[in-house]
Amino acid sequence: MTQSERTREEQRLTGVSRDRREGRRDAGRPPAGDNGTLGMKIQDLSAFYGGFKAVTDVSMDIRANKVTALIGPSGCGKSTYIRCLNRMHEVIPGARAEGSVTLGDQDIYAKGSDPVVIRRRVGMVFQKPNPFSKSIYENVAWGARINGFRGDVDELVERSLRQAALWDEVKDRLKESGYGLSGGQQQRLCIARTLAVEPEVILMDEPASALDPVSTQKIEDTMAELKKSYTVVIVTHNMQQAARISDYTGFFYIVNMGDPGRLWEFDETEKIFSNPERKETEDYVTGRFG
Amino acid sequence: MPRESFQQELDNLTGDVLNLGREVGASLENMVRAMETGDEELAARELGVDVRYKARGAELDRDSMILQARQAPVARDLRLLYTVQSVTNHLVRTGALSEHICHALAETAGAERDEDLEASLVEMARTARNIFNEGLDIFEHRDIDRARDLQAKDDKVDLLYSEAMNLIANPSDSGAGAPEWRMRAALMVHYLERIADHGVDIGGSTVFLVTGQRIEDAMRQYLERDINRDGE
Repeated sequence: MTQSERTREEQRLTGVSRDRREGRRDAGRPPAGDNGTLGMKIQDLSAFYGGFKAVTDVSMDIRANKVTALIGPSGCGKSTYIRCLNRMHEVIPGARAEGSVTLGDQDIYAKGSDPVVIRRRVGMVFQKPNPFSKSIYENVAWGARINGFRGDVDELVERSLRQAALWDEVKDRLKESGYGLSGGQQQRLCIARTLAVEPEVILMDEPASALDPVSTQKIEDTMAELKKSYTVVIVTHNMQQAARISDYTGFFYIVNMGDPGRLWEFDETEKIFSNPERKETEDYVTGRFG
Repeated sequence: MPRESFQQELDNLTGDVLNLGREVGASLENMVRAMETGDEELAARELGVDVRYKARGAELDRDSMILQARQAPVARDLRLLYTVQSVTNHLVRTGALSEHICHALAETAGAERDEDLEASLVEMARTARNIFNEGLDIFEHRDIDRARDLQAKDDKVDLLYSEAMNLIANPSDSGAGAPEWRMRAALMVHYLERIADHGVDIGGSTVFLVTGQRIEDAMRQYLERDINRDGE
C-alpha cells in the first residue's frame, strides 16, 4: 500500500483527516459546534516589548460566563497575552500591542478608548496577593468609591466578599488590616476587590500558585461560582487546575527559543485533556514536554 | 524525556496486559486443538485457568487505578489506562469462556456427536481464535487499519453461529449425537461467538487508544461519508 493509499485508508477508518489529527488547523478558530455568548473577541493580537515580539497573531473567542484557561511552558507569552486583554501590558515602558480586542461592541484598542474604563470593565487578579494597606472593608470599598459608586457601600462590601467566599471568615473583623489575613484569604480579598467595581471579565494570572492546597481549592470553588456572573480567563501552570475548573483551554507554545509565543491549540477543556489535536499540546499536557 | 519513570510504568503495565493476552491465546490454542483432535485430556488440563486469569485481571486493574491516582494521567496516557482496563476485561472474559468450552469438551468425552455440527464448531473455534489473536496483535502494534477488517471477519463467525444453531435446532434423523452433547454444543456456539466479539472489541479499543474516537463513531462517519459521496 502506498503512503497516499494508507493515508486515505486511515482517514476512511477514523473519519478524520491526517491534517486534522496532526493539528494543522487554525488554532484561533473557535471550537466547532460552540454557540455560547461571546465575552471577548481577540483578533490577530501581537504583543511587543520594545523591538521584541513576545506574542504573535493570537485570535480567540472568549465565551461569556465560562472559564477559559491559558496553559503553556514558561516564557510562551500567556501572562503577556492576558495583560493585553485589559491594556495592562502597555503600562510597562516600551511595551505595546497590535490587533484588536473587542469587549461587547467596543474595540479596547480603538482610538479614544480609555484604559482606565477598560480596566474597570476587565478586572485582574495577580499571582501574588496584593491587598492595600487598608482595612478589609476599605480594600473592597475603595476601588468602587473612586470609580464613582454612589450606592450602599456596606451592601457592596458584603456582596463582594460573599461572592469571593470570604464573608463568613472576615465579617467580624472588617476594620482589621487586610495584611492580617492568610495568603489564601488575601487572594480572595483581592478577588472581592476586583468584583466590587462590577467588571464584565475577570483575568487571573496564576491566582493560586502561591497558595496551599486548601486555599487553592477555595479559589477554585470561588471561580466556579464567579462564572455564573462573570467571564473568567485564568493563566495557570497547574494542568490539573485547568482541567478541573475551565470550560475552554488555550495552549500557548514557542516553536524555537527567541520566537514569539503563539496560540497553538484552543478547544474545549474536555478535548484538550482527553484527545488534543496537536502533538505538542498532548506532549505538554501529559508532561512529556522538554 | 520527562516523566520517564511514569512512561516505564505505563510500558510495564502494557507489557503485563500483552503477557496475559498471550497466555489466554495459548489457552484458546489448546481449546481449538482439543476440539480438532477430540483430546479430552488436553481440554481437562485447561480447567481452572479462569481463576488465574481473573486474579491477574484484578492485579492489572489495581495497578491501573494506582497509576491513575498517583500520576493524574490525561490525553493519550488516560486513553491508554482506560484501554488497558478495557482490554484486560476482554482477556479475562475470553479466558473464562475458553475454560467453559474445555469443561464442556471434557465432560462430554465419549458422547456420540453430530459430525456436521462438530465440523461447524471446529471452524467457528478456529475463526474465533484467529480474531482474538488479531485483536491482540492490533493492540500490541497499534495497527488501527486492521481494526475495521476485524469487524468484517466477525461477520463470518456470525454466519457460522447461525449455521450451527440451525443444525442444533434441526438435527438430522441419523447421527444427531447425544442430547447432552447437543446441549453443550449450543453453549459452546454461544461462547465462541462471544470470544470473537471480545477479539473485535480489543481491536476497537485500539482505535480509541490511537485516535480518541470510538470505532462505532469512526465507522458511522465512514459510512455517512460514502452515502454523502453517493448522493453527489
